[in-house]
Amino acid sequence: MKQLISDYGWQFIASYGVSLRISCIAFVLGLLLGTVLTVGRISPIPPLREAINIYVETFRNIPVLALLVFIVYALPDLGLVIDYEPCVIISLILVSSAFTCDNLRTGINTIDAQQIQAARALGLNFSTIVTSIILPQALSSVIQPMVTLFISVVISSSTGSLVPLAHEELTGLVTEINNKEAMGVVTFFLASILYVLTGLIIAFVGRRLEKRYALWR
Amino acid sequence: MAMSRTEAALFEATGPKARRRIMCGTIISIVALIALGVWIVYRFYTKGQLEPQYWYFFSQLNVWEFIGAGLVGTIRAAIGSGIISLIMGLVLMFGRISKIAPVRWLATTIIEFLRGTPTLLFIYFMFLVPAQLGLHISTYWMVVIPTSAYASAVLAEVYRSGVAAVPFGQKEAGLSLGFTRAQNFRYIILPQTMRIVTPALVAQLVVVVKDTTFGYVVTYPELMVNAKVIIANFDSLVPVYLVVSIIYVLVNYAISKCANWLSHRQNVKFGV
Repeated sequence: MKQLISDYGWQFIASYGVSLRISCIAFVLGLLLGTVLTVGRISPIPPLREAINIYVETFRNIPVLALLVFIVYALPDLGLVIDYEPCVIISLILVSSAFTCDNLRTGINTIDAQQIQAARALGLNFSTIVTSIILPQALSSVIQPMVTLFISVVISSSTGSLVPLAHEELTGLVTEINNKEAMGVVTFFLASILYVLTGLIIAFVGRRLEKRYALWR
Repeated sequence: MAMSRTEAALFEATGPKARRRIMCGTIISIVALIALGVWIVYRFYTKGQLEPQYWYFFSQLNVWEFIGAGLVGTIRAAIGSGIISLIMGLVLMFGRISKIAPVRWLATTIIEFLRGTPTLLFIYFMFLVPAQLGLHISTYWMVVIPTSAYASAVLAEVYRSGVAAVPFGQKEAGLSLGFTRAQNFRYIILPQTMRIVTPALVAQLVVVVKDTTFGYVVTYPELMVNAKVIIANFDSLVPVYLVVSIIYVLVNYAISKCANWLSHRQNVKFGV
């Protein structure tokens, strides 16, 4: 244990930082992309709606590992060479944006149809209805599922261990340590505690946010 | 997909100006989508990915048999983890709602621990640690144990929400009829819980199927691993990974649709 901390302590912290970096970037960009796609999904333009539906169903149902392997190994054959870490982030963005879309759709459906009818009766156009009536309510009603999504993005960032990242993330570091020397249970336990604590902290912050911003109808 | 009332309200008849704008938007988005499609095909074409050498082997029966064998491996792992987690989830849930405090604490800790740990980390653990201790575990269990551990923890919470959703009067009625707490659970609460949670259980199967792809790490012969073998044999990366990804999407899409259908049917039945 002592030897583990003195030999690998800093690496553990650095790798944990990489995990957090990957997950935060992926989650935030996924949230933004998902919001934009949601607007397209409820727009009055049928082909756009259909295309986004297909996007959501595809990336909601594809395993992250299959997507990552495709991006890392198949895209270069199509002339798109991307560095490893952006590959991991892109695959997580694609998946998390699809889930964001799905959550927001549920959030939108909790808004009373009469609100939109009233807005239209007042002569508001689509973009005003979306930005000042639909999105604020939809976003504040999906805090709970979005927190769950953030936690699963953190967990899924472990797929970064499948590709040789320049700076290894947590799961990758643990497997590397175990390939070099038999530290076994302790390393895995430490890493897993870090993941669990991160999840609990995110859940805690999420509950605070929800208390503050959730709409009670 | 059927529109909800809120969405339907958004699409009510519009005036002439808005209609013109919608028309414009429709045309622009159709053109953009076609352009995207053309760009992708062109990309495939210029990089030589449309050459028959990359695709011809899909006409061979044994290639499909091998892909099928991979799919069977995936399904075998998914069913194994499914069954284990259905039972273990129930056990953990009983621990979580136990009247005995230490049991409750233990179950809560286990649930939080399993739920918060990446399945992949657990799979690496199964892959590396037992070997260090001189134990031999088959690749099937290297995949199934971690996958079902995560699913059990999630299902424990699903069951718990199902128990909480059974109206309180049902429990009171059972107790007032002289049922013991155990009988009450067995005959009154659990049957209703099961009916409530069925759609969520089916939906969780999607996650299990996704997790079986980690068999790639331990070379358990499932779809991803067999895809790798086909790629090695025919030197055709893009088409094989494309086909395999589509298979995953279709399988999971079918499972999600099934879950939706179950939950819709339930809502109709209960008049929600």
